[in-house]
Amino acid sequence: MSDLDRAIAQLRACRPIPEAEVRELCHKARELLIEEGNVVTVNAPVTICGDIHGQFHDLMELFRVGGDVPDTNYLFMGDFVDRGFYSLESFLLLLCLKVRYPDRMTLIRGNHESRQITTVYGFYDECLRKYGSANVWRYCCDVFDYLALGAIVLGASNTLDTPKSGPLAAAPGEKIEVEVRNADRQIISRFLRKPPNNGHNGNVNGMSATTTGVSSSESANGPPTNTGPPGSGASGSSGGSVGNPAGAVLCVHGGLSPLIDMVDKIRLLDRKQEVPHEGAMCDLLWSDPDEIDGWGLSPRGAGFLFGADIVKVFNHRNDLSLIARAHQLVMEGFKEMFDASIVTVWSAPNYCYRCGNVAAILELTEDDSGLGVLSRSNGEVGRSDGGMGDRQRGVLMDTDPLGYGEGPARRYRVFQAAPQDSRGMPAKKPVADYFL
Amino acid sequence: MSLPPPTGFPGRSPPVPTTTFPSPPSVISPPPSTTVRPTSRTPFPDPANTPQATRTHQQGPFTISATKLPILKAGPIDSLTSRLGIPIPEMIFGDNVLSITHAPSGWSIFFSAEPALDLVDKTGASMLRVAYASSWSATREKTSAGITEVVKPFDWSYTTSYRGSEHPSPSHKLHKADPKKTQIPLELLKRRDPILFADEVVLYESELDDNGISMLSVKVRVMEQRMLLLCRFFMRLDNVLVRVRDTRVYVEFGTETVLREYTAREDSFENVKRNLYMSGLTPDAITVAFRDANQLANLIPVVEHEIEEVQLAGAGGGSSS
Repeated sequence: MSDLDRAIAQLRACRPIPEAEVRELCHKARELLIEEGNVVTVNAPVTICGDIHGQFHDLMELFRVGGDVPDTNYLFMGDFVDRGFYSLESFLLLLCLKVRYPDRMTLIRGNHESRQITTVYGFYDECLRKYGSANVWRYCCDVFDYLALGAIVLGASNTLDTPKSGPLAAAPGEKIEVEVRNADRQIISRFLRKPPNNGHNGNVNGMSATTTGVSSSESANGPPTNTGPPGSGASGSSGGSVGNPAGAVLCVHGGLSPLIDMVDKIRLLDRKQEVPHEGAMCDLLWSDPDEIDGWGLSPRGAGFLFGADIVKVFNHRNDLSLIARAHQLVMEGFKEMFDASIVTVWSAPNYCYRCGNVAAILELTEDDSGLGVLSRSNGEVGRSDGGMGDRQRGVLMDTDPLGYGEGPARRYRVFQAAPQDSRGMPAKKPVADYFL
Repeated sequence: MSLPPPTGFPGRSPPVPTTTFPSPPSVISPPPSTTVRPTSRTPFPDPANTPQATRTHQQGPFTISATKLPILKAGPIDSLTSRLGIPIPEMIFGDNVLSITHAPSGWSIFFSAEPALDLVDKTGASMLRVAYASSWSATREKTSAGITEVVKPFDWSYTTSYRGSEHPSPSHKLHKADPKKTQIPLELLKRRDPILFADEVVLYESELDDNGISMLSVKVRVMEQRMLLLCRFFMRLDNVLVRVRDTRVYVEFGTETVLREYTAREDSFENVKRNLYMSGLTPDAITVAFRDANQLANLIPVVEHEIEEVQLAGAGGGSSS
């Protein structure tokens, strides 16, 4: 058993590793992360996770629900630390797994992966309490500076695979776009992809009406049709087990920046620094989508809000079909906005041990139709040719009535906080509080 | 602590093997209240769970009751947002209530999030700015010209002067008292009388986008002869301002007297920090103290103080037995 495996085992038991080992781990992690670009390319299948916030036992629950590393390929969108009681164990475990299985674990930076924020919101205190000095906090902060700012997921399927038979099977020709499952793997709900000919009922401006019962029954009774991306010639009549490629998915902690119109501009940033108070790097980690037109300033006086039109233009320009982000607490664990062009994923159940919310992770499955390259016209393929990518995309997109590609199929696994008895500490008996 | 499981969440209903919705709605949050079958799984907290989430204690003619449920789901958040007209805090415990009822007179007071948030300034007239706002916008002027519109200005610090919602009876209503003559008897409350009932209920909390904290919570303790309720609003805007606004409700069971005291404290972050330093704390201890309103309150000058009283004895025209 290597030192690393032993450290992983120790951290899995929620026991911190010695300071010297942390130092070595952080050193190794930095060497690894320095080689990564600002935007990491990840191939589907991948499971995308939102904020963890030091809730170690809930992170264990997440691995139980989503599958263990390295069996499952994970992408964590930051905010590993602060607020919970086990920021240290949570972050170090994720970091160990990153070093041990670099290709199966992607970590990107959240706004809490910063010296300034961690001194206020708990991680600094926790390190001080558990080690008696701030050294471990310093090592971790040095790693924070090297974390990637975003990730691009390629090769995700636009339909979820289902068993050929049994209660979970889909009817012939049915393409499942969204599936929500609980922690026991039971299906809570499913949404079918609408055949392209009778239309996505959303429109580009985000003014769409919600699906109505009428159009639903229409499409349910309609004949199976082509479901591949326009121009790919893919047919949807293969029985529903093989997907078609969907456009790329951008993962980032907060959201977009008015300074970034192309994903490539993220690649040009100098990220190896403390999260600044201004500039594109700050925006990527801090901004939020909102029901507004265009860009707006947060009423707090710092930070941007962006509306549906911004997301749609950005996705179109970058040939993205979805933006996955974290950063905001959502009671249901995930929240899709703007005709499913952006989704918030939240992975800290019962946030701060008192909110009672559920958490979610987002699984994007692998496209095995062999057509993936087509939809990657503006992904990694042909990035070096500058304008060429644009023309290529134009050809593809012109046949798309909506102007953007079909989104990836999404499977959300929703889970609750780990049971109290798994936390290895007795439930807190309230002490008599003689407050005045 | 153990919270009741999220109410109304579909995971709790029997497994539904193949529920197929023919096409995705534009916004998907499980379960979609806007689409088909709103019956068995609405996103709204199941009102049936409220009794289980409520603890009640009877002391003499007074009933003290505390309801604790998870934060609101998307549906109720949307309707609350439209009722209030401002974005609501991300941690909104909209179903939580703490109440004191005097059955013989019909007088009662309760504490809940919605009326508290209704008192938040919705115009932006008293809007604060985070510490680095000037430097933030200064560096933006060149690069992000055109983005100047502040979205929905309002007091995002969620500062409220909420003192609880009183339901007066025809003949009983809290009225102003002379603070020199009427005071909450602190010495009696310092006694270690056995606590018969205690609870703490959070009404809302915001992290102010990681610029501090804003929190409104209510706690209560009931002893044999008296009880104390403390509704505290605590707001710390890092490097800018600290506010503590306390509403205390004191009940003397023997005389059936109710006192309500409101104390607002406010000071600059810098002053509070200096006072903490002068009290002998190390820098690390100061960081910790800034999270704890109990440690801060007495270091912050009082800017508003008021006491009210209502005498409920002999009420109810013989309806009390």
